[in-house]
Amino acid sequence: MSQQPSPQFGLQRYEALMLTVPELTKDETVLIEKQIDEAVRKAAGSVISFERWGKYRLEYPVKKNDYGVYLLARFEVPKGSQALQDLQTMFAIKLNLIVMRHMVHALESPSLVYQRPKSLEEAPESGDGRGFLRDHRKIEGLISAVDATGRFTDSTDDLEDNEDLG
Amino acid sequence: MTKKIKLKISARLVKKRTRRGQGAGGKHCRFCVSLEQLSQLDYKNTALLRSFLTERGKILPARISGNCSRHQRYMGQEIKKARVMALLPYTTQNV
Repeated sequence: MSQQPSPQFGLQRYEALMLTVPELTKDETVLIEKQIDEAVRKAAGSVISFERWGKYRLEYPVKKNDYGVYLLARFEVPKGSQALQDLQTMFAIKLNLIVMRHMVHALESPSLVYQRPKSLEEAPESGDGRGFLRDHRKIEGLISAVDATGRFTDSTDDLEDNEDLG
Repeated sequence: MTKKIKLKISARLVKKRTRRGQGAGGKHCRFCVSLEQLSQLDYKNTALLRSFLTERGKILPARISGNCSRHQRYMGQEIKKARVMALLPYTTQNV
């Protein structure tokens, strides 16, 4: 994350944050990088950086996925060029199955330093304690018991009550 | 009785005076004070933005966060961007 010189005259810096499916392979990452590079070069611009943030637990499910992989691409293209529309089309049509969400923003500050949340590889399931609960839910007798079918039941007493009710 | 009431009022005033005297002063917008903080105010910096959310995921009002109206607006916009990208919650599930 080095300090890059200011963009050349007539060029505008942008960044594209992409939220992809959690099962993103290396080949697919390379494919996205190539597609962006192609679109930017076509508009006489250049890619500054392309980063894979890693896997994250999403704050809400997106397309029925609880997890996702974030990618951040930064590039500079001439102002008012066709590149942004090309990228929009690319995300919506070509990469529709891989990229769940995307967001392109103009970069105003000359500094390229930024802070991002820690991924699951860096800090596995920290913070909210959901990971702890999930892990310890399986311990028999502590919170719940797992029946033969693999479903979670609260306790045997509750089962009996339900039978009585039924 | 009257004595008691007078005492209560005076005690409250004394407290108020001491609070003023301690240099707490009014609230200051932290982004107006520090340019470094302002440069960190970004939709990707969820650790900072999370401090401006309630437990339910709502945006804190300016009277609580202490931001000036300009930076409160900017901060709200950044939180909304982060929500679109699923970096921050719109709301939390019932606890």
